[in-house]
Amino acid sequence: MIEDLLQSSPGLMNFGIFFLLAVVLLLVVLGFVTYAILAERKVLGYMQARHGPNQLGGKWGLLQTVADVLKLLLKEDVIPKAADRPLFILAPIIAFTPAFMVLATIPFTDKFQFADIGVGLLYYIAVSGMTVFGMVLGGWASNNKYALLGGMRAGAQMISYEIPLVMSVLGVILLTGSLNLSDIVLQQEHGWFILYQPIAFIVFFIASIAELNRTPFDLPESENELVAGYFVEYSGFRWAFFMLTEYVYMFAMSSLITVIFLGGWLPPLDVLGFIPGAVWFALKFSLVVFVYMWLRATLPRFRIDRLMEFAWKVLFPVALANIFLTALIKTLFF
Amino acid sequence: MTITGEFIAFMGLALVAIIGGVLLLNLTKVVHMVVALIFTFVSIAGIYVLLSAEFVAAVQILIYSGAITIIMLFGIMLTKHDDEGETTTGKGRKVLLFLGILGFAAAVYIGIYDFNVVQVPTDLHVDNTMKIGEALYSKWVIPFELTSVLLLVALVGAIVLAKKEEKEGDKE
Repeated sequence: MIEDLLQSSPGLMNFGIFFLLAVVLLLVVLGFVTYAILAERKVLGYMQARHGPNQLGGKWGLLQTVADVLKLLLKEDVIPKAADRPLFILAPIIAFTPAFMVLATIPFTDKFQFADIGVGLLYYIAVSGMTVFGMVLGGWASNNKYALLGGMRAGAQMISYEIPLVMSVLGVILLTGSLNLSDIVLQQEHGWFILYQPIAFIVFFIASIAELNRTPFDLPESENELVAGYFVEYSGFRWAFFMLTEYVYMFAMSSLITVIFLGGWLPPLDVLGFIPGAVWFALKFSLVVFVYMWLRATLPRFRIDRLMEFAWKVLFPVALANIFLTALIKTLFF
Repeated sequence: MTITGEFIAFMGLALVAIIGGVLLLNLTKVVHMVVALIFTFVSIAGIYVLLSAEFVAAVQILIYSGAITIIMLFGIMLTKHDDEGETTTGKGRKVLLFLGILGFAAAVYIGIYDFNVVQVPTDLHVDNTMKIGEALYSKWVIPFELTSVLLLVALVGAIVLAKKEEKEGDKE
Protein backbone atom coordinates (compact mmCIF):
# COMPACT_ATOMS: atom_id res chain seq x y z
CA MET A 1 0.00 0.00 0.00
CA ILE A 2 2.61 2.52 1.12
CA GLU A 3 5.08 1.13 -1.41
CA ASP A 4 2.70 2.13 -4.25
CA LEU A 5 2.07 5.52 -2.67
CA LEU A 6 5.78 6.25 -2.37
CA GLN A 7 6.31 5.55 -6.05
CA SER A 8 3.27 7.37 -7.41
CA SER A 9 3.67 10.95 -8.60
CA PRO A 10 3.42 13.55 -5.85
CA GLY A 11 0.27 15.62 -5.43
CA LEU A 12 -2.13 17.10 -2.93
CA MET A 13 -3.99 13.78 -2.66
CA ASN A 14 -0.83 11.88 -1.73
CA PHE A 15 0.07 14.53 0.79
CA GLY A 16 -3.38 14.17 2.35
CA ILE A 17 -3.11 10.39 2.58
CA PHE A 18 0.35 10.55 4.15
CA PHE A 19 -0.78 13.23 6.56
CA LEU A 20 -3.76 11.11 7.61
CA LEU A 21 -1.60 8.00 8.08
CA ALA A 22 0.91 9.96 10.12
CA VAL A 23 -1.89 11.31 12.33
CA VAL A 24 -3.16 7.75 12.82
CA LEU A 25 0.33 6.63 13.85
CA LEU A 26 0.63 9.60 16.18
CA LEU A 27 -2.67 8.69 17.86
CA VAL A 28 -1.55 5.05 18.17
CA VAL A 29 1.72 6.15 19.78
CA LEU A 30 -0.02 8.55 22.16
CA GLY A 31 -2.52 5.81 23.07
CA PHE A 32 0.39 3.46 23.69
CA VAL A 33 2.12 6.02 25.91
CA THR A 34 -1.07 6.61 27.92
CA TYR A 35 -1.64 2.94 28.62
CA ALA A 36 2.06 2.01 28.92
CA ILE A 37 2.32 4.38 31.88
CA LEU A 38 -0.79 2.87 33.44
CA ALA A 39 0.45 -0.67 32.69
CA GLU A 40 3.82 0.15 34.18
CA ARG A 41 2.20 1.39 37.40
CA LYS A 42 -0.09 -1.63 37.55
CA VAL A 43 2.71 -4.15 36.87
CA LEU A 44 5.01 -2.47 39.39
CA GLY A 45 2.11 -2.43 41.86
CA TYR A 46 1.29 -6.12 41.58
CA MET A 47 4.98 -7.08 41.69
CA GLN A 48 5.32 -5.13 44.94
CA ALA A 49 2.11 -6.70 46.35
CA ARG A 50 -0.11 -3.61 46.06
CA HIS A 51 -2.83 -2.55 43.65
CA GLY A 52 -1.56 0.50 41.76
CA PRO A 53 -4.08 3.03 40.42
CA ASN A 54 -7.62 1.77 40.96
CA GLN A 55 -9.84 4.79 41.56
CA LEU A 56 -10.39 6.80 38.38
CA GLY A 57 -11.96 5.03 35.41
CA GLY A 58 -13.30 1.87 37.05
CA LYS A 59 -11.57 -0.96 38.84
CA TRP A 60 -8.46 -0.83 36.62
CA GLY A 61 -7.84 2.90 36.85
CA LEU A 62 -8.20 3.24 33.11
CA LEU A 63 -8.48 7.04 33.14
CA GLN A 64 -5.65 7.69 35.62
CA THR A 65 -3.05 8.69 32.99
CA VAL A 66 -5.55 10.81 31.08
CA ALA A 67 -6.24 12.75 34.27
CA ASP A 68 -2.50 13.08 34.96
CA VAL A 69 -1.83 14.46 31.49
CA LEU A 70 -4.74 16.88 31.80
CA LYS A 71 -3.30 18.09 35.09
CA LEU A 72 0.11 18.63 33.49
CA LEU A 73 -1.35 20.57 30.57
CA LEU A 74 -3.32 22.86 32.86
CA LYS A 75 -0.37 23.54 35.14
CA GLU A 76 1.30 26.92 35.21
CA ASP A 77 4.30 27.11 32.90
CA VAL A 78 7.21 27.93 35.21
CA ILE A 79 10.59 29.00 33.83
CA PRO A 80 13.12 29.71 36.59
CA LYS A 81 14.46 33.25 36.67
CA ALA A 82 18.12 32.25 36.53
CA ALA A 83 17.57 29.71 33.74
CA ASP A 84 18.89 30.20 30.23
CA ARG A 85 15.49 30.98 28.73
CA PRO A 86 15.89 30.15 25.00
CA LEU A 87 17.73 26.89 25.68
CA PHE A 88 15.30 25.97 28.46
CA ILE A 89 12.47 26.20 25.90
CA LEU A 90 14.43 24.52 23.12
CA ALA A 91 15.71 21.52 25.12
CA PRO A 92 12.46 19.49 25.36
CA ILE A 93 11.84 20.06 21.64
CA ILE A 94 15.33 18.83 20.70
CA ALA A 95 14.85 15.83 22.97
CA PHE A 96 11.50 14.78 21.62
CA THR A 97 11.68 15.44 17.85
CA PRO A 98 14.12 12.55 17.16
CA ALA A 99 11.86 10.21 19.16
CA PHE A 100 9.13 10.68 16.57
CA MET A 101 11.54 10.77 13.62
CA VAL A 102 12.79 7.25 14.29
CA LEU A 103 9.27 5.82 14.06
CA ALA A 104 9.20 6.56 10.31
CA THR A 105 11.52 3.74 9.37
CA ILE A 106 10.15 0.90 11.50
CA PRO A 107 8.27 -1.76 9.49
CA PHE A 108 5.20 -2.68 11.55
CA THR A 109 3.99 -5.17 8.92
CA ASP A 110 5.10 -5.91 5.37
CA LYS A 111 2.62 -3.28 4.13
CA PHE A 112 2.69 -0.66 6.86
CA GLN A 113 6.00 1.17 6.87
CA PHE A 114 6.47 4.85 6.20
CA ALA A 115 10.02 5.09 4.86
CA ASP A 116 11.79 2.05 3.46
CA ILE A 117 15.31 3.46 3.82
CA GLY A 118 18.29 1.42 2.66
CA VAL A 119 20.21 2.26 5.83
CA GLY A 120 17.17 1.98 8.15
CA LEU A 121 18.98 0.46 11.13
CA LEU A 122 21.77 3.02 11.01
CA TYR A 123 19.18 5.81 10.63
CA TYR A 124 17.44 4.68 13.82
CA ILE A 125 20.64 4.60 15.88
CA ALA A 126 21.96 7.89 14.46
CA VAL A 127 18.75 9.87 14.94
CA SER A 128 18.02 8.46 18.38
CA GLY A 129 21.51 9.56 19.43
CA MET A 130 20.44 13.18 18.98
CA THR A 131 18.09 13.06 21.99
CA VAL A 132 21.06 13.31 24.32
CA PHE A 133 21.53 16.95 23.20
CA GLY A 134 18.11 17.75 24.62
CA MET A 135 18.94 16.12 27.94
CA VAL A 136 22.34 17.78 28.35
CA LEU A 137 20.97 21.15 27.23
CA GLY A 138 17.97 20.83 29.55
CA GLY A 139 20.28 20.03 32.44
CA TRP A 140 22.56 22.95 31.66
CA ALA A 141 19.84 25.51 30.91
CA SER A 142 18.05 24.82 34.21
CA ASN A 143 20.96 26.41 36.08
CA ASN A 144 20.62 23.88 38.86
CA LYS A 145 23.34 21.63 40.24
CA TYR A 146 21.22 18.48 40.35
CA ALA A 147 19.98 19.09 36.81
CA LEU A 148 23.51 19.67 35.51
CA LEU A 149 24.76 16.47 37.17
CA GLY A 150 21.85 14.56 35.64
CA GLY A 151 22.56 16.03 32.21
CA MET A 152 26.27 15.15 32.47
CA ARG A 153 25.42 11.60 33.47
CA ALA A 154 22.94 11.32 30.60
CA GLY A 155 25.62 12.45 28.13
CA ALA A 156 28.28 10.07 29.42
CA GLN A 157 25.93 7.13 29.70
CA MET A 158 24.20 7.50 26.33
CA ILE A 159 27.48 7.87 24.42
CA SER A 160 29.10 4.92 26.19
CA TYR A 161 26.17 2.58 25.66
CA GLU A 162 25.64 3.56 22.04
CA ILE A 163 28.88 1.74 21.17
CA PRO A 164 27.91 -1.76 22.42
CA LEU A 165 24.44 -1.12 20.93
CA VAL A 166 25.89 -0.60 17.44
CA MET A 167 28.54 -3.31 17.82
CA SER A 168 26.01 -5.95 18.86
CA VAL A 169 23.75 -5.47 15.83
CA LEU A 170 26.78 -5.79 13.54
CA GLY A 171 26.49 -9.56 14.00
CA VAL A 172 22.94 -9.46 12.63
CA ILE A 173 24.05 -7.19 9.78
CA LEU A 174 26.83 -9.65 8.92
CA LEU A 175 24.28 -12.46 8.65
CA THR A 176 21.75 -10.51 6.56
CA GLY A 177 24.13 -8.41 4.49
CA SER A 178 21.68 -5.52 4.68
CA LEU A 179 20.91 -2.51 6.85
CA ASN A 180 17.32 -2.38 5.65
CA LEU A 181 14.87 -3.31 8.40
CA SER A 182 12.38 -5.04 6.03
CA ASP A 183 15.20 -7.17 4.62
CA ILE A 184 16.28 -8.07 8.16
CA VAL A 185 12.75 -9.29 8.96
CA LEU A 186 12.45 -11.25 5.71
CA GLN A 187 15.75 -13.03 6.43
CA GLN A 188 14.24 -14.46 9.63
CA GLU A 189 11.73 -16.75 7.90
CA HIS A 190 13.70 -19.85 8.86
CA GLY A 191 14.52 -18.81 12.40
CA TRP A 192 14.60 -15.64 14.43
CA PHE A 193 17.91 -13.94 15.01
CA ILE A 194 17.52 -14.34 18.75
CA LEU A 195 18.36 -18.02 18.07
CA TYR A 196 21.29 -17.32 15.73
CA GLN A 197 22.64 -14.33 17.68
CA PRO A 198 21.86 -14.91 21.38
CA ILE A 199 24.95 -13.02 22.59
CA ALA A 200 24.13 -10.05 20.37
CA PHE A 201 20.57 -10.07 21.72
CA ILE A 202 21.68 -9.99 25.36
CA VAL A 203 24.20 -7.19 24.75
CA PHE A 204 21.70 -5.21 22.67
CA PHE A 205 18.97 -5.59 25.28
CA ILE A 206 21.17 -4.43 28.16
CA ALA A 207 22.50 -1.49 26.13
CA SER A 208 18.97 -0.58 25.07
CA ILE A 209 17.84 -0.32 28.71
CA ALA A 210 20.70 2.11 29.28
CA GLU A 211 19.76 4.10 26.19
CA LEU A 212 16.17 4.30 27.43
CA ASN A 213 17.35 5.53 30.86
CA ARG A 214 15.32 2.91 32.66
CA THR A 215 16.08 1.14 35.93
CA PRO A 216 18.64 -0.42 36.58
CA PHE A 217 20.41 2.23 34.48
CA ASP A 218 18.31 5.32 35.27
CA LEU A 219 21.21 7.26 36.78
CA PRO A 220 20.50 10.50 34.89
CA GLU A 221 17.27 10.82 36.85
CA SER A 222 18.03 8.79 39.98
CA GLU A 223 15.53 10.18 42.47
CA ASN A 224 17.44 9.37 45.64
CA GLU A 225 20.58 11.29 44.65
CA LEU A 226 19.53 13.91 42.12
CA VAL A 227 15.86 14.62 43.00
CA ALA A 228 14.83 14.07 39.35
CA GLY A 229 18.00 14.54 37.31
CA TYR A 230 18.09 16.71 34.22
CA PHE A 231 14.43 17.78 34.41
CA VAL A 232 14.27 18.91 38.04
CA GLU A 233 13.34 22.45 37.06
CA TYR A 234 10.81 21.48 34.42
CA SER A 235 7.11 21.40 35.14
CA GLY A 236 3.81 21.31 33.32
CA PHE A 237 3.78 20.46 29.64
CA ARG A 238 7.55 20.84 29.18
CA TRP A 239 8.08 18.10 31.75
CA ALA A 240 5.36 16.12 29.97
CA PHE A 241 7.41 16.38 26.77
CA PHE A 242 10.42 14.76 28.47
CA MET A 243 8.23 11.96 29.79
CA LEU A 244 6.64 11.57 26.35
CA THR A 245 10.12 11.25 24.83
CA GLU A 246 10.99 8.50 27.25
CA TYR A 247 7.90 6.44 26.51
CA VAL A 248 7.97 7.04 22.73
CA TYR A 249 11.53 5.72 22.79
CA MET A 250 10.28 2.70 24.70
CA PHE A 251 7.75 2.17 21.89
CA ALA A 252 10.43 2.62 19.22
CA MET A 253 13.05 0.46 20.96
CA SER A 254 10.59 -2.37 21.62
CA SER A 255 9.57 -2.25 17.94
CA LEU A 256 13.21 -2.32 16.90
CA ILE A 257 13.99 -5.34 19.09
CA THR A 258 10.90 -7.08 17.67
CA VAL A 259 12.08 -6.33 14.14
CA ILE A 260 15.74 -7.26 14.56
CA PHE A 261 15.64 -10.23 16.90
CA LEU A 262 12.07 -11.56 17.15
CA GLY A 263 11.12 -11.81 13.50
CA GLY A 264 8.93 -8.73 13.19
CA TRP A 265 5.51 -9.55 11.76
CA LEU A 266 6.42 -13.18 10.89
CA PRO A 267 4.52 -15.95 12.75
CA PRO A 268 6.66 -18.27 14.92
CA LEU A 269 5.36 -21.37 13.08
CA ASP A 270 4.12 -21.61 9.51
CA VAL A 271 0.91 -23.31 10.77
CA LEU A 272 -0.03 -20.10 12.58
CA GLY A 273 0.31 -18.05 9.39
CA PHE A 274 -3.47 -17.42 9.22
CA ILE A 275 -3.20 -14.88 12.05
CA PRO A 276 -2.35 -11.49 10.48
CA GLY A 277 1.18 -10.10 10.81
CA ALA A 278 0.03 -7.05 12.76
CA VAL A 279 -1.22 -9.28 15.59
CA TRP A 280 2.11 -11.13 15.80
CA PHE A 281 3.97 -7.84 15.81
CA ALA A 282 1.75 -6.51 18.61
CA LEU A 283 2.19 -9.68 20.68
CA LYS A 284 6.00 -9.73 20.43
CA PHE A 285 6.12 -5.99 21.00
CA SER A 286 4.00 -6.29 24.17
CA LEU A 287 6.27 -9.05 25.44
CA VAL A 288 9.34 -6.82 25.08
CA VAL A 289 7.55 -3.93 26.83
CA PHE A 290 6.54 -6.25 29.66
CA VAL A 291 10.13 -7.46 30.11
CA TYR A 292 11.26 -3.83 30.43
CA MET A 293 8.68 -3.25 33.19
CA TRP A 294 9.54 -6.52 34.87
CA LEU A 295 13.24 -5.57 35.02
CA ARG A 296 12.32 -2.20 36.49
CA ALA A 297 10.38 -3.87 39.26
CA THR A 298 13.13 -6.43 39.96
CA LEU A 299 16.55 -4.83 39.80
CA PRO A 300 18.14 -2.12 41.97
CA ARG A 301 20.00 0.81 40.44
CA PHE A 302 23.66 0.59 39.35
CA ARG A 303 26.40 2.76 40.80
CA ILE A 304 27.73 5.36 38.35
CA ASP A 305 31.34 4.10 38.24
CA ARG A 306 30.20 0.49 37.86
CA LEU A 307 27.92 1.58 35.03
CA MET A 308 30.76 2.97 32.92
CA GLU A 309 33.06 0.04 33.70
CA PHE A 310 30.30 -2.36 32.73
CA ALA A 311 29.87 -0.70 29.32
CA TRP A 312 33.55 -0.50 28.43
CA LYS A 313 35.01 -3.58 30.12
CA VAL A 314 32.18 -6.11 29.75
CA LEU A 315 29.65 -5.25 27.05
CA PHE A 316 32.09 -3.81 24.52
CA PRO A 317 34.55 -6.77 24.48
CA VAL A 318 31.65 -9.24 24.43
CA ALA A 319 30.13 -7.44 21.43
CA LEU A 320 33.50 -7.45 19.63
CA ALA A 321 33.95 -11.17 20.35
CA ASN A 322 30.46 -11.77 18.98
CA ILE A 323 31.35 -10.01 15.71
CA PHE A 324 34.50 -12.13 15.43
CA LEU A 325 32.59 -15.34 16.14
CA THR A 326 29.84 -14.46 13.66
CA ALA A 327 32.34 -13.67 10.92
CA LEU A 328 34.12 -16.96 11.60
CA ILE A 329 30.89 -18.97 11.50
CA LYS A 330 29.72 -17.19 8.38
CA THR A 331 32.93 -17.89 6.43
CA LEU A 332 33.11 -21.50 7.60
CA PHE A 333 29.52 -22.67 7.30
CA PHE A 334 27.52 -20.42 4.96
CA MET B 1 16.31 27.86 -13.63
CA THR B 2 13.20 26.10 -12.47
CA ILE B 3 12.23 25.93 -8.84
CA THR B 4 11.86 22.32 -7.85
CA GLY B 5 11.22 20.73 -4.49
CA GLU B 6 14.86 19.67 -4.40
CA PHE B 7 15.97 23.27 -4.93
CA ILE B 8 13.76 24.54 -2.08
CA ALA B 9 15.01 21.78 0.22
CA PHE B 10 18.62 22.56 -0.70
CA MET B 11 18.15 26.29 -0.10
CA GLY B 12 16.52 25.64 3.28
CA LEU B 13 19.27 23.27 4.41
CA ALA B 14 22.06 25.47 3.08
CA LEU B 15 20.60 28.52 4.82
CA VAL B 16 20.33 26.68 8.14
CA ALA B 17 23.91 25.41 7.76
CA ILE B 18 25.30 28.87 7.03
CA ILE B 19 23.23 30.63 9.69
CA GLY B 20 24.38 27.98 12.16
CA GLY B 21 27.99 28.70 11.21
CA VAL B 22 27.56 32.46 11.54
CA LEU B 23 25.83 32.09 14.91
CA LEU B 24 28.64 29.80 16.06
CA LEU B 25 31.06 32.68 15.51
CA ASN B 26 28.83 35.43 16.89
CA LEU B 27 27.21 33.96 20.00
CA THR B 28 28.95 34.61 23.28
CA LYS B 29 28.14 31.60 25.45
CA VAL B 30 29.89 28.29 24.82
CA VAL B 31 26.77 26.16 25.05
CA HIS B 32 24.87 28.42 22.65
CA MET B 33 27.69 28.02 20.15
CA VAL B 34 27.47 24.25 20.42
CA VAL B 35 23.72 24.41 19.71
CA ALA B 36 24.46 26.42 16.54
CA LEU B 37 26.99 23.72 15.62
CA ILE B 38 24.29 21.03 15.97
CA PHE B 39 22.10 22.84 13.43
CA THR B 40 25.01 23.14 10.98
CA PHE B 41 25.95 19.47 11.18
CA VAL B 42 22.38 18.21 10.94
CA SER B 43 21.62 20.32 7.87
CA ILE B 44 24.84 19.14 6.21
CA ALA B 45 23.56 15.61 6.79
CA GLY B 46 20.33 16.70 5.08
CA ILE B 47 22.34 17.89 2.07
CA TYR B 48 23.99 14.46 1.90
CA VAL B 49 20.52 12.92 1.77
CA LEU B 50 19.65 15.20 -1.17
CA LEU B 51 22.77 13.89 -2.93
CA SER B 52 21.51 10.28 -2.41
CA ALA B 53 24.27 9.53 0.07
CA GLU B 54 22.12 8.22 2.95
CA PHE B 55 24.95 6.18 4.42
CA VAL B 56 27.23 9.20 4.73
CA ALA B 57 24.32 11.23 6.16
CA ALA B 58 23.56 8.61 8.84
CA VAL B 59 27.25 8.28 9.73
CA GLN B 60 27.60 12.08 9.88
CA ILE B 61 24.83 12.28 12.49
CA LEU B 62 26.02 9.17 14.34
CA ILE B 63 29.60 10.40 14.70
CA TYR B 64 28.88 14.07 15.31
CA SER B 65 26.11 13.54 17.84
CA GLY B 66 28.65 11.88 20.11
CA ALA B 67 31.37 14.38 19.25
CA ILE B 68 29.19 17.44 19.84
CA THR B 69 27.93 16.08 23.15
CA ILE B 70 31.52 15.67 24.29
CA ILE B 71 32.39 19.21 23.12
CA MET B 72 29.38 20.43 25.09
CA LEU B 73 30.42 18.55 28.23
CA PHE B 74 33.97 19.88 27.98
CA GLY B 75 32.61 23.34 27.28
CA ILE B 76 30.56 23.16 30.46
CA MET B 77 33.31 21.65 32.60
CA LEU B 78 36.35 23.62 31.42
CA THR B 79 34.93 27.12 31.03
CA LYS B 80 33.56 29.57 33.53
CA HIS B 81 29.84 29.35 34.00
CA ASP B 82 28.83 32.86 32.96
CA ASP B 83 31.88 33.75 30.89
CA GLU B 84 31.03 35.98 27.95
CA GLY B 85 33.48 36.20 25.07
CA GLU B 86 34.94 39.63 24.42
CA THR B 87 35.93 41.21 21.13
CA THR B 88 39.51 42.45 20.88
CA THR B 89 39.63 43.39 17.23
CA GLY B 90 40.38 46.98 16.21
CA LYS B 91 38.76 48.94 13.40
CA GLY B 92 41.64 48.63 10.93
CA ARG B 93 41.66 44.90 11.34
CA LYS B 94 37.93 44.73 10.68
CA VAL B 95 38.34 46.67 7.41
CA LEU B 96 41.15 44.37 6.35
CA LEU B 97 39.05 41.32 7.18
CA PHE B 98 36.13 42.69 5.17
CA LEU B 99 38.42 43.30 2.16
CA GLY B 100 39.79 39.79 2.48
CA ILE B 101 36.29 38.33 2.52
CA LEU B 102 35.33 40.39 -0.53
CA GLY B 103 38.43 39.15 -2.36
CA PHE B 104 37.69 35.56 -1.46
CA ALA B 105 34.06 35.88 -2.57
CA ALA B 106 35.15 37.40 -5.90
CA ALA B 107 37.72 34.64 -6.45
CA VAL B 108 35.18 31.91 -5.71
CA TYR B 109 32.60 33.61 -7.93
CA ILE B 110 35.01 33.86 -10.88
CA GLY B 111 36.12 30.31 -10.27
CA ILE B 112 32.70 28.68 -10.30
CA TYR B 113 30.70 31.01 -12.56
CA ASP B 114 31.82 29.43 -15.81
CA PHE B 115 32.71 26.08 -14.34
CA ASN B 116 31.46 23.47 -16.74
CA VAL B 117 29.86 20.64 -14.84
CA VAL B 118 29.58 17.64 -17.11
CA GLN B 119 26.38 15.86 -16.21
CA VAL B 120 27.00 12.14 -16.30
CA PRO B 121 24.00 9.87 -15.73
CA THR B 122 24.87 7.95 -12.60
CA ASP B 123 23.18 5.34 -10.49
CA LEU B 124 24.68 6.47 -7.21
CA HIS B 125 21.47 5.88 -5.28
CA VAL B 126 21.37 2.15 -6.07
CA ASP B 127 22.98 0.01 -3.35
CA ASN B 128 25.36 2.81 -2.43
CA THR B 129 26.16 1.38 1.01
CA MET B 130 27.34 -1.85 -0.56
CA LYS B 131 29.44 0.06 -3.09
CA ILE B 132 31.10 2.13 -0.38
CA GLY B 133 31.99 -1.09 1.41
CA GLU B 134 33.39 -2.70 -1.73
CA ALA B 135 35.47 0.36 -2.62
CA LEU B 136 36.75 0.66 0.95
CA TYR B 137 37.86 -2.95 1.22
CA SER B 138 39.28 -3.43 -2.28
CA LYS B 139 40.54 -0.22 -3.83
CA TRP B 140 41.24 1.88 -0.73
CA VAL B 141 42.10 -0.84 1.75
CA ILE B 142 45.60 0.45 2.62
CA PRO B 143 44.54 4.05 3.47
CA PHE B 144 41.61 2.60 5.41
CA GLU B 145 43.83 0.33 7.49
CA LEU B 146 46.35 3.13 8.03
CA THR B 147 43.56 5.36 9.34
CA SER B 148 42.50 2.70 11.80
CA VAL B 149 46.11 2.33 13.00
CA LEU B 150 46.27 6.11 13.44
CA LEU B 151 43.09 6.07 15.54
CA LEU B 152 44.45 3.22 17.62
CA VAL B 153 47.66 5.15 18.28
CA ALA B 154 45.62 8.19 19.33
CA LEU B 155 43.53 6.00 21.67
CA VAL B 156 46.56 4.39 23.29
CA GLY B 157 48.24 7.81 23.57
CA ALA B 158 45.19 9.22 25.37
CA ILE B 159 45.20 6.32 27.83
CA VAL B 160 48.95 6.73 28.48
CA LEU B 161 48.51 10.45 29.16
CA ALA B 162 45.55 9.85 31.49
CA LYS B 163 47.41 7.13 33.44
CA LYS B 164 50.49 9.32 33.91
CA GLU B 165 48.55 12.14 35.52
CA GLU B 166 46.89 9.74 37.90
CA LYS B 167 50.24 8.39 39.15
CA GLU B 168 51.66 11.85 39.74
CA GLY B 169 48.49 12.73 41.61
CA ASP B 170 49.01 9.71 43.87
CA LYS B 171 52.58 10.74 44.75
CA GLU B 172 51.51 14.17 45.78
